[in-house]
Amino acid sequence: MKSIGFKLSTTSSLFIFLGFLIAVFSITSEHFLSPYNITSLLTNISYSGIAAIVLTLIIISRGLDISVGGVIGLTTVVVATLYSQNDPLPTWLILIIGLGTGAIVGFINGWCITALDMDPIITTLGAMAITRGLAYVISDSQSILMFEDTTDYISNGTIFYIPIPIIIFILTVIIFSVLLHKSKFGRSIYAIGANELSAEFSGIAIKSKKMILYILSGVAASISGIILLGQTSVGMPQHGLGTELEVITAVLLGGAALSGGKGTIYGTVAGVLILGVLFNGLTISGVRYVHLQIFQGILLLVAVATYEIKTRNEVAR
Amino acid sequence: MKSTLLKMSKICKSYPGVKAVDDVSIDLFSGEVLGLMGENGAGKSTLIKMLSGAEIMDSGEIYINEEKVNINSPKSAQDCGVSVIYQELITMDTLSVAENIFVGQLPINKTTKLIDWKTAEKKSSDVLSLLNSKINPKSIVGTLSIYEKQIVEVAKAIHKNAKVLIMDEPTAALSEKDSKSLFEVIDKLKSQGVGIIYISHRIEEVFNITDRVSVMRDGMFIGTKTTKSAKKKEIISMMIGRELNQFFPEIKSEKKGIALKVSGLNIDGIIEDINFEVQRGEIVGLFGLVGSGCLNIARSIVGVDSIDQGDIDIDGRKVSIKDPKSSMKNKIGFIPIDRKHEGLTLDFSVKQNLSLQSLEQLGSGFIINDSIENSIAKKWVEKLEIKTPNIDVQVKNLSGGNQQKIVLGKTLETNPEILVVVEPTRGVDVGAKMDIYKMLESLCHQGVAIILVSTDVPEILSISHRVLVVSTGKIRKEFKKGEANQQDLLYEASLS
Repeated sequence: MKSIGFKLSTTSSLFIFLGFLIAVFSITSEHFLSPYNITSLLTNISYSGIAAIVLTLIIISRGLDISVGGVIGLTTVVVATLYSQNDPLPTWLILIIGLGTGAIVGFINGWCITALDMDPIITTLGAMAITRGLAYVISDSQSILMFEDTTDYISNGTIFYIPIPIIIFILTVIIFSVLLHKSKFGRSIYAIGANELSAEFSGIAIKSKKMILYILSGVAASISGIILLGQTSVGMPQHGLGTELEVITAVLLGGAALSGGKGTIYGTVAGVLILGVLFNGLTISGVRYVHLQIFQGILLLVAVATYEIKTRNEVAR
Repeated sequence: MKSTLLKMSKICKSYPGVKAVDDVSIDLFSGEVLGLMGENGAGKSTLIKMLSGAEIMDSGEIYINEEKVNINSPKSAQDCGVSVIYQELITMDTLSVAENIFVGQLPINKTTKLIDWKTAEKKSSDVLSLLNSKINPKSIVGTLSIYEKQIVEVAKAIHKNAKVLIMDEPTAALSEKDSKSLFEVIDKLKSQGVGIIYISHRIEEVFNITDRVSVMRDGMFIGTKTTKSAKKKEIISMMIGRELNQFFPEIKSEKKGIALKVSGLNIDGIIEDINFEVQRGEIVGLFGLVGSGCLNIARSIVGVDSIDQGDIDIDGRKVSIKDPKSSMKNKIGFIPIDRKHEGLTLDFSVKQNLSLQSLEQLGSGFIINDSIENSIAKKWVEKLEIKTPNIDVQVKNLSGGNQQKIVLGKTLETNPEILVVVEPTRGVDVGAKMDIYKMLESLCHQGVAIILVSTDVPEILSISHRVLVVSTGKIRKEFKKGEANQQDLLYEASLS
């Protein structure tokens, strides 16, 4: 049996399924493979994919972060509000404050989970509610229009014809796959998720590692928020509603288990791509947005059930 | 007139590689307390599990009141009138006393079809007063003391018309006063004709409360004696009687100065005023029965259990050990009691486990240097003769002995100067045992100070240079090597 971190069979099955989906949609719709659609698809994937990559590490450590959507909404509102002031702060500062929003939420989540030993689900659920609520309060439930160059550039600009969000996503994938699969930090994350007690007895500093993960998750959500802000040109408290579900689905689809110790970056990438292709393909084929949610839910249940059965078979042997 | 309440006849149970219960026959009269004694691994727990339905026997028969019964599940055992009070109580702490006693069978009001709480509470009080208890049936069990929880479990058993009651180490967590109350309850049950199987290591207690004592050893039934006419040393001989056919290496002590000194160590309610020292190149054994506090002493030295009072000095300087990481910084190594849940990460491979405590050493930067990790793994596989197809298999697939060696290798990679080892050869085959002893010998030569916590009497007597006997949280006696035999050790440890 191979050691953890490289479930070849699972990941390749996912990519085969992805290929199947792409084949189906390219037949059912002539626009699916157009450059415009592919770009649009990949950009949308990048938006939630960045948060999904970081969430993978959290889930591997046997934690969870449901506050992603709330942080996205709050970040768009904060940044848009700061821009619409009469004498706005310099752009770079505003963006840093935007990232800081996620970092602060992540820090508070991390502190509750490590110092107060609170359950991650409860903690980040509360954070989800609080950030969403703050977004409504700060924006007074209004949308805040933005005409601004930098966020516009971040979301819609390209480097060598590749949209910047996609580049950020690719960079995130590279950095985190090295971090998770090759570094000492990544090894300790797997150890914490697989058996926290053994990890502690082996001298691994559990609390500080978890704290780092939750802060990173918050920052990732803020980055997603800024990308969304640039794409839509409006800061809204409703931004990000439902994104947490999408992100968790992608990670679990990719093979990570809520019980911890399992999962890979490649798996999550596959999960993100499958969801993105599915949504995009179905939308092009005329399926209404509201029905997409049903597909997402079904996919989540089927994936988790499949992994559960697979694990049970392995144990029974 | 005593009748044969329970007869277990020719019971056999094997697990892969080991005969846990080998052709054991035992009987129990109604209205008697039968003590069941034997060392760890003697087979007592397995035998009892088959009686209580937690395990299914390979062969053999059980008769209750001379009628053959088929016990293949906890429910069928209860239906036959067999109840167990486990050492780790299984009360439902968030529910009330009445709900625990009536679990699954709460009385229903025939007209309203709703739960008849009044009847439940009244009947609970009736049963409880039979047991000399005034616990309020509405109390939430989680708020009760350990003794009260035990009484609730006994009440539950009585309510289910238990004819055979098995009590596993019932006084391990009780104060003297509560133990006395429990004995009074046991007397009452006897007068009602209940037969009680009383499992305990505490020989004084067994001689106080039982009518007869049965002894098991290495899965076999050795014999039964009437308590009144039996002698303690005789019973202990029956328990340990095996030949010392295991060879223990003669480990010379090469004392080179005090490595670790423990003074006034105190954990409220668990250990009290623990003082001892360990020299470099010396193996000090800590011996005590379940609940004696030995394990807690070991765990407090390595920062797993927190200390209420006391000091730990290493090489003469006072150190503060508040978690496993700080104990590692002070060059203390730890082999925990439960390798599966505390020592290993079962899903990780051999090499990933071996390197887990030394991640910092795997290269100078953030990235793990694969060749360093591989060489560390290969080194320990060779040094400890770990039998594995390769260093990439998951450790959950290895045998107990090899798993234990991996825990040892992982810790030794950090070059500890003080090593705290708990039950190093539990569940380990003879060959691996020898390898582990050889490694301990080698460490001794290198000047490592070793604290050995073990309930394996021959092991601790042969390997340690000195043995400290711990009982009810205090160090009772120190034996130098050769001063005590197995009987002395068990005897001292069972005194309170």
